[in-house]
Order: sequence, then C-alpha cells, then structure tokens
Amino acid sequence: MAITLFVVICIMLMIGFPVALTLAGTALLFAGIGTLTGSFDPLLGTLPSRLYGIMTNTTLIAVPMFVFMGVMLERSQVAEKLLDTMSALFGARSGGLGISVILVGMLMAASTGIVGATVVTMGLLALPTMLKRGYDPAVACGTICASGTLGQIIPPSIILILLGDVISNAYSQAQMAKQQALASQGIFEYSAPQTVSVGDLFAGALLPGLLLVGLYILYIIGLSLFRPDKVPAPSQQEHAELTDGNLLKQVFSALLPPLGLIVAVLGSIISGLATPTEAASVGAIGAMLLAAAKKQFSITILRKVVINTTEVTSMVFLILIGASIFSVVFRGFGGDELIASYLSNLPGGVFTAMFLVMLLMFVLGFVLDFIEITFVVVPIVGPVLLGMGLDPIWLGVMIAINLQTSFLTPPFGFALFYLRGVAPKSVQTAHIYKGVMPYIVIQLLAMAILAYWPALATWLPKVLYPG
Amino acid sequence: MATRNDPFPQRLLAWIDALISFSGRSIAWLVILMVLISFSVAILRYLFDIGWIALQESVTYLHALVFMLGIPYTLNRNRHVRVDILNHRFSPRTRAWVDLFGTLVLLLPVFITLFWLSLNYVTNAWLVLEASPEAGGLPLVFLLKSLLLLMPLLMILQGIAWLLRNMLFLTGKIESSGIEQ
Repeated sequence: MAITLFVVICIMLMIGFPVALTLAGTALLFAGIGTLTGSFDPLLGTLPSRLYGIMTNTTLIAVPMFVFMGVMLERSQVAEKLLDTMSALFGARSGGLGISVILVGMLMAASTGIVGATVVTMGLLALPTMLKRGYDPAVACGTICASGTLGQIIPPSIILILLGDVISNAYSQAQMAKQQALASQGIFEYSAPQTVSVGDLFAGALLPGLLLVGLYILYIIGLSLFRPDKVPAPSQQEHAELTDGNLLKQVFSALLPPLGLIVAVLGSIISGLATPTEAASVGAIGAMLLAAAKKQFSITILRKVVINTTEVTSMVFLILIGASIFSVVFRGFGGDELIASYLSNLPGGVFTAMFLVMLLMFVLGFVLDFIEITFVVVPIVGPVLLGMGLDPIWLGVMIAINLQTSFLTPPFGFALFYLRGVAPKSVQTAHIYKGVMPYIVIQLLAMAILAYWPALATWLPKVLYPG
Repeated sequence: MATRNDPFPQRLLAWIDALISFSGRSIAWLVILMVLISFSVAILRYLFDIGWIALQESVTYLHALVFMLGIPYTLNRNRHVRVDILNHRFSPRTRAWVDLFGTLVLLLPVFITLFWLSLNYVTNAWLVLEASPEAGGLPLVFLLKSLLLLMPLLMILQGIAWLLRNMLFLTGKIESSGIEQ
C-alpha cells in the first residue's frame, strides 16, 4: 500500500496541480481507503500538533528573512556592478570573462542565494557580452548555469537551512533507534544525544562549495590553455572600454558592500555569535541599506519585496505541510519500516544504500524542486542512512551537491529553463545542453572527492564547534 | 470587478478574491516587522545582555501569521509550485479541467479534513486560554493555534473561488480562467 501510494503520487504530480496539495490530497485519499479496509493505522489525529510544531519551529524562521535579504539585494543591482568590476579585473586574459562569471556567481550565491535570479541576471548581462567577445555559446551557457546554481550549496542557502532542520530530526531519530535496539539486548548505555545544527551544515558546506568554484575555474583555465578559441581574450580596444577611470576605486565600491554583508552574516553564524535567524535579520537590514545607498529603496519597491517574500515563504511552508501529511500517512501504512528494511539489507551495505538514495534524489530532481525532495525523501531515508553510521553533516552536503547537479542536468534542470528564458534567439537549446555537460562531470567529480574524503565537509564544523 | 448586477457566482468570486488579496497584502508587511524585532532581540542580547522571551516569541507568532495567511494568498496568485512538464503544453481548457479536478479531489478534502481535525485541538486551547509554556512568554498560544482553523477556512474559500472560476471559464461565461500561469 505504501509503495502504491508513492507511485500514485508520482503519476498525479504529472497532471500539474500544485505539488504540495497533490502530496497531501493523495495521501489523505489513501488514508481514507485504508481506514475503510482496515489496513491503516490511523495516526491522523497527531496532525494538528505536528502542524503547530511547524508553526513554532524556530530554525525555519530564518527562511523568510534570507528570502527577504536575497530579493532586496537583487533589487539593489549588486550583481550588475560586480560583473562589470570582475570583468575589468580579469577580462583582459583568455578565459577571464568566464572566471569573472564564476566569481560573481559565487558571491551572489553567498549573498542572495536565489538560483533563478542569479541565472537570469547573468544570462541577461554576461551572456550577450560573452557572445560578442566570441566565446563558444556552449561554454558561455554552461558557465552561467553552473555558476548560478552555486546558490544551492554555498552558505547561507535556503536549502541548507531546510536540510539542517530535516537532518537534525533524522539524526535524533537514528540515535533513539540505536539506543532502543541496544536496550532490547539488555544493554543500557546512556550517551548524551549528539545534535547537528544549521550552523554545522553551513560550516560543512563551505569548503565543498569552494572546491566546486575552484574546479569550475580550473576548467576555464584548461580551456584557455588548450582551446583558447572557445574563450578568447578581448581586443585592446574592448579592454580599454572596460577599465575607464580608477580600477581600484571601482573594485572597492562594487566588492566591499556585498562582501561586507557576506562576512557579517556568514561570519556571525559560523563563529556561533548569532543564530541563523538573527544573522539573517542583520543581512536583511544590510540589504535594505545597500538598496537605499543605490537609490533603489521606496515604498513601492518594499511592497514588491515583502509580497515576493511572502509568496516564496508560503510556497515552502505549504510543501512542508503537504509533506508532513504525506509522511504521517506513509508511516501509517508501514512505509518507513519497509524502506528501512530494504535499505539495510542491500548487498554492499551502506555504500549501495547511499548510492541508491542519491540516484533516486537525482532522478526526482528532474521533476521536483529541492524543497519537496528535502521534506519528502530525507525524513524517510535520513534516519536509516544515519543509523548505518553516516555522518549527518557529510550526508547533508552530499544531498545539497546532488540536488544542485540535478538542477543542471538536461532536459529538465531548472537552471536550464531559466537561462533559456532570457538567452538570445541565436543561442540554441542544444548549446545550453552541451555547455553544462562538462560542469555535470565536475559535479560528479566533486561528489566522488567528497565521498572519498569526507573530512572536506566534516573538518571545519569539528574545528569550529569542538565536542 | 464584479458589480451588483452580476450573477451571484461572479459576485462571490470577486468577494473571495478581494478578501484573500487583502489579507495576503496586509500580512506581507509583517515580514519587515519580523526583521526589525529579530534584529532588536539580537542587539539586546549581545550588547545589553537582556533576554526578552515575549519579544522573541513575537517573531515566531509573526512568522506563523505570515505563512499561514500567505498560503491562501499564494494559492490565489497561483504561485505554489507545480510540475509543469506536461502542464505548460496543455490548452487553457485542459488546464481548467486539471484545476477543477484537483480542487475537488485534492484541495477541498485536505482542508476540510484539516479543519475538522484541528477543531478539538483549537477548542481545547481556547477553553484554558492556553499561554506560553515559558515563563515570561506570550499568553496567546490559543490565538496562535487558531490559525490552524483560519488557514484551512481561507483555503476552502479559495478552493471554492477556483471551482467557480474554472466552471465559469469552461462554460464560456468568462474569457479566461483568470488564473495566472
């Protein structure tokens, strides 16, 4: 029954009714049928208190504030200025413009974290310039898409907040299950429960995020060495146009404000000085000041920003509500025990289990947003994987990179749609698909490195938060 | 905009739209209040070492208010994510059928059930005028919990609005389903 439920939901999703309502509605229909036929353990009575738990969840309060900060910053046109400055700095060399795009993508990821907005902005600003300079359209498109999706993995990102919440629940469940298993064998061993926080996940994602940026840049450098025709340097005249006036001053005025904001927000979270929510409020106020400094601050703009923030937040929370209704029903049919016994009896143990889960998420990422996957899949598989001994921070970072990759993968990757929407007609969809391929290989490589060397994710949190 | 002379369904539709748009646009401003209060909480704690639980809880309340009333508004604006691989290839009529079906079979049953399940839960909170479990917290938990009835209620209303809209569209009474795609 649990598996049928999952399959029916996948089919129902395809007709295109809002995802959260499809999840909740289909699950409740099944619960109704199950209650009538007596095959369902009715846990529905716990729903109001679960929903109240969502309403009072203090971790998730950071979500609307980071969304607000991102939307506000987008208004203040930091990306535009950054892009100009970066190309003035690096633009003179072969491949320089590509590297500028990657660096701006990284800075935007750390400040706004909105994938769609970053891809669209860079698609509008950088793509025409790159094409004019004679960049291979595929390389240009691939670089913009990949840099745009960095917002998923580079903290502070919304996905890491949501994952942090879900994974910390899964982690405490896994530890409880372990203690119960020991107790049933007559071993009573008390150990203080270990926890994992959003700050842990931010710290854990930092180095892997930078690794990705480094690999992207290496790829562009490689191209400039071996295929300079794909990433040509500008002519003398083009370069002269870029660096009119005082370059140093330009760098300071463009780079300092967003960089200051990133350091303030990220630094205060990672150093443990502020909770993510408090840091987000600092970021939100900083974004308003920046917008005001750029004369992009008025009641009209503020209204648009708060309404946009409300919509995005509500979208996230309706999915959370839908997913929790789904998981109550799924559990009522014994679905999670089914998954647990399946995953723990695989040949090859935890490696195969992890591999299968990552594959499933990757494929689901073609149709579903990361929010749905985080709320629906992770609560089911998370406790099992963590119970098999995986590190929660490492698992979270792997999931984040995986979902980022599926954002990039043709034909359904979200980033590709965003770029297609703003790319000039001369750019074919095939260019975009071809261009992201090397970046997908880089993503897989990064996941392999992280799988082989988990310390990349776990080292920094351990140093920052010992014990 | 509907006027007095319009048939009843159109007037009901306009009334629900107006109600939900108004509530959504109003609560959206609370986001700024959340930011400011949360910032003050941080300042008070780090600079003056003052922990003010009621202030901290008010951020939670505002947050719950924003998304619980924002959810119906976001539905009204059609901003809840859909899997649009097939959907964006459908004709407007097919899309109207999808929404009609989804509203009847998924949306309305979910929120009627949720309303019904929450009724006892919320009534119990009201009977004791439930307050915060924390000392110095807000004594308004019963009001906060009432959102568990208000949100489903607004979703049911918005569901009725979608039903009307799509039925009027399918029977040719209005030009488009009016639901932004």
